[in-house]
Amino acid sequence: MRTELLAVITKELRQTVRDRRMLVMLLLAPVLQLTLLGFAVNLEVDHLPAALVDLDETPTSRAFLQAMVADPTFDVAITTDDPDTPILSGEARVVIVLPRRFEARLKTGRSNEVQVLVDGSNPIEAQAALDATRRFLEQRSVQQMASLAQEMAFRSGRALKRPSVEIKVRTLYNPSLKSAVYMVPGVAAVVLLIVTTVVSAMGIARERELGTIEQLLVTPLRPTVLLLGKMLPFAGIGLITAGMVLGVGTTIFRVPVRGPLSVVFVATVLYLMSTLGVGVFISTVARTQQQAILGGFFFLLPAILLSGFMSPIENMPDWIRVLAAINPVRYYVEILRSSLLKGAGFAELLRPLFALLIFGAGILGLGSLRFQKRIS
Amino acid sequence: MIGGSPSPTPSPPSLRATIIEAVGLERRFGDVPALASLSLGVQSGEIYGLVGPDGAGKTTALRILAGVIAATDGHALIQGRDPLTGASKVRASIGYMPQQYSLYGDLTIDENLRFFARMFCLKKAEYEARRAKLLDITRLQRFTDRRAEALSGGMYKKLALACALLHRPAALILDEPTNGVDPISRRELWALLFRFAQEGMAILVSTAYMDEAARCHRVGLLHRGRLLLEGRPADLTAALDNPVYSVVFDPTNTGFNDTLMRHRAIVTASLAQSEFRIVVECGAEAEVTRFLADGGATWTRVAPNLEELFLVREHEASRSTPRTQPTGGREA
Repeated sequence: MRTELLAVITKELRQTVRDRRMLVMLLLAPVLQLTLLGFAVNLEVDHLPAALVDLDETPTSRAFLQAMVADPTFDVAITTDDPDTPILSGEARVVIVLPRRFEARLKTGRSNEVQVLVDGSNPIEAQAALDATRRFLEQRSVQQMASLAQEMAFRSGRALKRPSVEIKVRTLYNPSLKSAVYMVPGVAAVVLLIVTTVVSAMGIARERELGTIEQLLVTPLRPTVLLLGKMLPFAGIGLITAGMVLGVGTTIFRVPVRGPLSVVFVATVLYLMSTLGVGVFISTVARTQQQAILGGFFFLLPAILLSGFMSPIENMPDWIRVLAAINPVRYYVEILRSSLLKGAGFAELLRPLFALLIFGAGILGLGSLRFQKRIS
Repeated sequence: MIGGSPSPTPSPPSLRATIIEAVGLERRFGDVPALASLSLGVQSGEIYGLVGPDGAGKTTALRILAGVIAATDGHALIQGRDPLTGASKVRASIGYMPQQYSLYGDLTIDENLRFFARMFCLKKAEYEARRAKLLDITRLQRFTDRRAEALSGGMYKKLALACALLHRPAALILDEPTNGVDPISRRELWALLFRFAQEGMAILVSTAYMDEAARCHRVGLLHRGRLLLEGRPADLTAALDNPVYSVVFDPTNTGFNDTLMRHRAIVTASLAQSEFRIVVECGAEAEVTRFLADGGATWTRVAPNLEELFLVREHEASRSTPRTQPTGGREA
């Protein structure tokens, strides 16, 4: 059995190394994808294109505009009379409308209603824009109140006291809230998923498509050995890929490694069991490599979307959260983030590790069962 | 042993052990019957040719006997053991060469040979000896570093044959081995087959070429999943009652050959190597010769060949069974 297993592994590695495209897809593509996605997927809002509609045209409203220009969050392109056009044309994501009698109302100590228009076509960006605008306006009104209070204090001749409640937030683990640090573990999981699932599904489908399975079937080779021989090289390559992705993440994106690497290693092995298992399962349904790729994406898309990699699972409807509960990607992302960013160890991550183990063993078992049935 | 001294003639099949055996094999793909009660046996040292039109069930029969797919009913036996369920022992006694490409195209000749040798767990010394011998007789030594996908059709088939023979199977099953192979390579392949048969191998081969079928020790004609007839080629053609004529036309009487081919008493007509041959229905001899004479043609009665025999038998079989009966299919 050892001879046959080694023979299959050697053959598989030889074919992979010889197929330049496959090699690039396995080793280079993940690193490139991680780098690209790591830079591109950025949830921080900076230089938000903004516009101001000044219906007041007083010194106060102009001071407001200047403050907006000075704020790095906004890129104030224009002042305009028509609040809708800049959003429609894409020149501004957010438009602030200062009403008539803005200054007059402020001076008399009455409240003002400032209208804010936000481009909602991209909800994530809209949320960020809204948050930034709210923060800006709050700052402005505190300043406004302060100067008003100062003025009143000056008039009444009494000393001024600052507002009493001040909120000071300290963010743990990712203090500067850099999205790359948060995104990289997710991207790593996704990249690893794409590579190993599709490649393993294709590797088996190829034997069927090219008819080589016919020649293998008449040899004494047992299906289990064949499957093992095909999976082990891809598991090895997957581990190398994972290592490289982690390397890129820590060097380029400064992702910290706070937890023990052994946790990451064990989680990656369990995760690869799941992804390769899904690949085997897909290959038992697919007849050709093309079908294997299509089948792969049928699984990949929901698995990625329901992984919490971009949007938090907690915000999803109940029935989707049930689906997400059986998603191995989600657990792997969870483990990577907790371990790398927070320094969680085995004790804290028992639950997701166990979930990965269950899913991996289950899908791998099911896949090999179907594989053996298909082959005989 | 390959390369042993050739024995002059194979001993009568009845005295030898039956190596490949099909007993009432049936196979359906869904509702479509591909094989209906096929029984045949191939003895040690015998080359058995399986012929028949496309879709007759040849590939299905061979795949069942090689242990690639299961029969719906009946038994396939290789040296008395089931090739599909009978452990690795029986696998080691089967050599199978599928019709389509089934070696690793991105591996070299040597890598393919080594891989399949390891599948059969050959000892290193044994492998080296077999490899040298097979490369020698297939004349592939000079190309061992070439990838299988870069080989010509004939060279590829010889490599496939070598891979199927590495473990010295007692039974060799070949599915249209000369399909798409040039005439010289075809000859070489058949010379190899005869050599192996002389060494005692039982060979079951399907072919679409009648000259190849005529060289087999025995042939079987498969028609819609049934064995229509079987026997030694010479015996089979001798048993055909229909008269066969070689016809020479009057060059001035153009279009006469078309009229002749539409004659109701002509079972089949063929033009091969500028010889025009017709097979006439039994009892219509006088009618046809009168028709030929009227058309200014001359004729000589000739012995039927295997192709004519098969065409006549298939013609008869098609008339006696309803057309709606499905034909054999090929599992993808």
